[in-house]
Amino acid sequence: MATEHMIVMAGTDERDLTKLAEYEAIGGYGALVKARAMSPNAVIDEVVASELRGRGGAFFPTGRKWSFVPKPEQNPNPHYVVVNADESEPGSFKDNEIMARVPHRFFEGCLIAAHAIESKNVFVYIRGEYTGPYEILLGALKELEARADLRGDVTIVLHRGAGAYICGEETALLESLEGERGQPRTKPPFPAVQGLYASPTVVNNVETLATLPPIIEMGGAEYAKLGVPDSRGTRVVSISGHVERPGNYEIENGTSMRELIYDLGGGIPGGRALKAVIPGGSSTVILKGDEIDVGYDFNSLLNLNTAMGSAGVVALDDRCCMVQLGIRISEFYEHESCGKCTPCREGTRWMTQILRRLESGEALQSELDLLLAVCDRINGKCLCPLGETAAVAVASYVEKFRAEFIAHVEQSGCPFGDSSPLHDVVAPVAVAHSASSAVPA
Amino acid sequence: MSTYYEDVQEIKAQYPNWRSATLPALRLAQEKHGYLSPDALRECADALGTTPAFCEAVASFYDMLHLAPIGRHMVEVCTNVSCALVGAQQVLESFEQELGIRAGETTDDGEVTLRPIECLGGCGWATIVAVDHHYRMHVKPEDVPAIVQELRSGD
Amino acid sequence: MSAAETVTLTIDGIAVDVPKGTGLVEAALAAGIEIPVFCYEPRLGPPVGACRMCLCQVEPGPPKPQAACTLTAQDGMVVRTALTSQIAADAQNATLEFILVNHPLDCPVCDKGGECPLQDLTFRYGPGNTRMTFPKRTFEKPIPVSPLIALDRERCILCYRCTRFSEGVAEDGQLVAVNRGAGSMIATFGDEPYRAPFSGNVIELCPVGALTSTTYRFEARPWEIQAVPTVCGMCPVGCNVNATTREGKVKRILSRNHPEVDDGWLCDKGRFAYAHLHAEDRLRDPILRVRRRGFEEVSWERALDEAERLLREANGRIVTALSGSETVEQAYALGKLLRRGLGAHTAFFPEEMSDALDAYRVPLSAIRDADVVAVLGDGPVIERAPVVELWIKEARRRGARVLYELDEEAVRGADRAILVWCGPGGHGGATVASLAQRLGASGAFYIPDTANGRGVCDAWSCSDDAESPSPDPVGLLIVSGDEAAANPVVRALAEKAERVIVISMFQGLAAGWADLVLPGTSYLERDGSYVNLEGRIQRLRRTVIPPVPDELAWISKLAERFEVELPPYPSLVFEEVSAIAFGGIPFGEIGERAPLPAATGTSDPIELPIEPTPGDHGLRLVRYRPLFSGPAVDRVPQLGFQRPQPEAELSEQDARSRGIRNGEEITIRSNGTSVTLRVRLSRELRPGVVRIPEDFAGDLPPSVEISK
Repeated sequence: MATEHMIVMAGTDERDLTKLAEYEAIGGYGALVKARAMSPNAVIDEVVASELRGRGGAFFPTGRKWSFVPKPEQNPNPHYVVVNADESEPGSFKDNEIMARVPHRFFEGCLIAAHAIESKNVFVYIRGEYTGPYEILLGALKELEARADLRGDVTIVLHRGAGAYICGEETALLESLEGERGQPRTKPPFPAVQGLYASPTVVNNVETLATLPPIIEMGGAEYAKLGVPDSRGTRVVSISGHVERPGNYEIENGTSMRELIYDLGGGIPGGRALKAVIPGGSSTVILKGDEIDVGYDFNSLLNLNTAMGSAGVVALDDRCCMVQLGIRISEFYEHESCGKCTPCREGTRWMTQILRRLESGEALQSELDLLLAVCDRINGKCLCPLGETAAVAVASYVEKFRAEFIAHVEQSGCPFGDSSPLHDVVAPVAVAHSASSAVPA
Repeated sequence: MSTYYEDVQEIKAQYPNWRSATLPALRLAQEKHGYLSPDALRECADALGTTPAFCEAVASFYDMLHLAPIGRHMVEVCTNVSCALVGAQQVLESFEQELGIRAGETTDDGEVTLRPIECLGGCGWATIVAVDHHYRMHVKPEDVPAIVQELRSGD
Repeated sequence: MSAAETVTLTIDGIAVDVPKGTGLVEAALAAGIEIPVFCYEPRLGPPVGACRMCLCQVEPGPPKPQAACTLTAQDGMVVRTALTSQIAADAQNATLEFILVNHPLDCPVCDKGGECPLQDLTFRYGPGNTRMTFPKRTFEKPIPVSPLIALDRERCILCYRCTRFSEGVAEDGQLVAVNRGAGSMIATFGDEPYRAPFSGNVIELCPVGALTSTTYRFEARPWEIQAVPTVCGMCPVGCNVNATTREGKVKRILSRNHPEVDDGWLCDKGRFAYAHLHAEDRLRDPILRVRRRGFEEVSWERALDEAERLLREANGRIVTALSGSETVEQAYALGKLLRRGLGAHTAFFPEEMSDALDAYRVPLSAIRDADVVAVLGDGPVIERAPVVELWIKEARRRGARVLYELDEEAVRGADRAILVWCGPGGHGGATVASLAQRLGASGAFYIPDTANGRGVCDAWSCSDDAESPSPDPVGLLIVSGDEAAANPVVRALAEKAERVIVISMFQGLAAGWADLVLPGTSYLERDGSYVNLEGRIQRLRRTVIPPVPDELAWISKLAERFEVELPPYPSLVFEEVSAIAFGGIPFGEIGERAPLPAATGTSDPIELPIEPTPGDHGLRLVRYRPLFSGPAVDRVPQLGFQRPQPEAELSEQDARSRGIRNGEEITIRSNGTSVTLRVRLSRELRPGVVRIPEDFAGDLPPSVEISK
């Protein structure tokens, strides 16, 4: 029986931790004091020992990322901590709740990170739609700023996004923070060396930072005792879709996916069969309903050729049409493609076109192969992961549910029709902005 | 009362480079003008010290910035997968019916704009509807009339 | 000097040594291998890796293909292009398939057809057929981005070269990408035109037919045209260009990258003003004033007879007003004829010239590598020598401090300080030369008003050694060229002269005030040489045959009548000048990318005061001739929209202290006269100066006050 293991969210059931006094009452900001008594290198070592990996989706070891940042004597430019609070991955809503419920733990983590890389400037790039969490952070920041003993000489600026999924990609985020269109940069150079304003920068996810206070508090080695090899500690998992009790659950890494869905999530409503699970947000390879007897951790999911991503678990019951799912996901990536690199810009649009024709029943068998070919030609050719994950995700629907796709061709239509909840869902259309000269004919 | 120009200067001072003030300045201009009209973009450009074309280039990249007129109220229904699985389309249709407009349109009186939107990051509380950028959770089609009523009678 | 550090890498099995820091595209080229590109263009700044055309297999590195354009050569790197790697070949083929998904197949009616990188690369690397079965994206087309540039959005492959140029090279912020994803497109703000001095470069940068020249549209196909290498004669930079000609007409001007002079950029004046060759009022026959009957067109034989008569009748009381746009050979020929043949030594030069700067001669590209650039003289560089402004902007982007008033400490403390004088009071470069010497600058430039002022001055002075006092009254004024003919000072001189001969291309400039008008030619029609502001001698080529005999031809004929020996061939005339002024280099060795002659000697220190700024509330008024003005520009209607706005430039400091904001109207006044103009704040102007285009400055004196 799976249970929650609250580290990041610890204390939230008992207290309103958005208040500084409440947070301090449970020892809040103690880790910051402890960290500041340590040398920056010692803090980095502690985080390396914790084996903490980035919770944004790329799962890169946090301590190692920090260690790439040049020391101030190697690069005299200001160093920056940039927080990726642009959570936008369909299926993920953990950072939303973390910021809303433990804003001070999050800020404490920001200040620990700033100490570790010897930075005086923290920029929190929070997605524009998150009005609620933004207002809570604003209130918490006000309280924090009034406390010179905690704030020290570090400035924290909340910077609101304006609606662009791609800004969750770290270099696009930096572009956007610099006031540009949020288009990813080529790497190298990596942000650690040349990030914000071409200066040394670490970009960390909200949950990653909120995990730092407990790590400093308990010690890296202690934290590393939680979880399983390569996936230490806990993870706040977002469960949504066809489950009885959707929500965020903080679990120890390695918890069984079946238990996640059936114990914590309460199982599939109406006693229906589980058809498929998106394990880590829309960018990940889909699992069939019978593939969930694995641990929710990096290696277990890698064995299934998929990933934890940003820990957004979406359950789909047996009414769902996989072609319709493909359309909706492809529409999403098409809409969110930044337009910089060719394969993503042109390919995601083409994918949607082919998928719509498959759903309408007008497609030939060869077009299913064409869809896979297009996915294959996008994958591995793009500037950033957006287009690639779109291609991989959609290709996985075809691979795992090929019979269903072929049925659309053979029956000249959708076998599910409007009984599927994904039937004819209206997706946002890109509005062709701009004045008269920009109107498509 | 401070002017838009002065507000933007203050925002610029928060950053090492004036350009970082672009998004906040655009957001502010939109609040002031209702949407980012050519005049709003010109005012923004003057305050930032850049060209209106640059402001338009940036603004047109982001879904929350509007280069065409929008209603005084904005209703955004998330229709991404998690919300769609539990009936977001039906919620959207209820709004269409209640407001008498199609998704993407604004009511004739200029009061309400309705549009579907990509994942709002509230998948566990589906269906999410952002009403004037504040989330309503677990919205069902039957909740829609009350929300519309609230908007129509509100302020 | 130590040898440059090199790295060795292998490209398609070929080992190649390249300097450290070389990009993979260039490294491959060194091995004789093409890595195809669209978005890559090093002159636009760091690579962006957008188009994905250059995907190659690179080891060490991730297993997937890498954007070669974003990588630099490393020791031991193994690169496999489409030649030897199936992965790279598939990737490049995929990129082209995606590009062509929405690209129209209108090559037969596309201006780019035949000189189109997309066509060429599709032929070499692309799929032979299409799997796209949906309707292609369509747009309204062509959209006039400006009166000079047409945009066909269907053809655009979104490589972002044009927008990167606008943002990162010209820094005009006018041409941008709007929207996102597949809806992305190139646009200006609303319906406003792309109004900026360097806009035309985007046409050349475009790797497809999306941005085309309105003046070249449907004018020629690539197999019908010739390219004639010459230099631009519109300003003292002397950008290297190719004139595209078809059936004896100039059809367009393209850049011909001289990396020390222009880096392959052209201003719109240099690119589009060629249409003045076909101006409606272009003179084709000499015009003679005839008593009572007014003016009549006469034959060249008759015109030369009249010219001879006028020259003889003047009895040596002759003044020659030069334009500064004559070739070295023309100016020398005129000088030799008048000075040796008639003892008429007096010339009116358009501006003061000095050889003091020859000691500080460096290429313009040295500005890019400077750590301090001081721009002095208060004149707008972009209006006088546009490409110099691009060098200054690049220096700033590379971290140089660019100063607009003299900070002696900064110049002294710099490793590589460059001084640039632009504006009145520079004494032909003497002022800036003395500053360079005193402060130890590594190079200095003076930006003259005219394209070949220096060359004309040198040529005139070496055409004879004798001198004579200025005649009074003037018996005959010879006005050489359009700029002189348009110069108010010259016109005033003409009022007082007994007789006037004008050499001009245009009826509108010459008619009515001259006794004899001899039709002139354009720099695009002449063979000869120009000396640019660096002191570089560059070769002008006759790109098309002019409708009238060129100046050298008839001057030489006239010279015969005065027993002055003057060959009608530029090469021979040049060699006479060269023997005296240019160290004897032969005409044939000027070359297509002319080298910069070595700096000569050191100039004696001369103390010349920099003009002080008026004290108190007074401002120094600097009026200037805008780039988009003058006899040639006046005759190209498409350039009309580029004319200056009624604006006054003010430093941010002066504006702040007076509570003036960008865009507000201000009144500039002095002694009862005033003008009201919109203010434009400039970071490129020192406090204490207000700058106004000549046309809008009215009768204002050099010291003014301003108010809201």
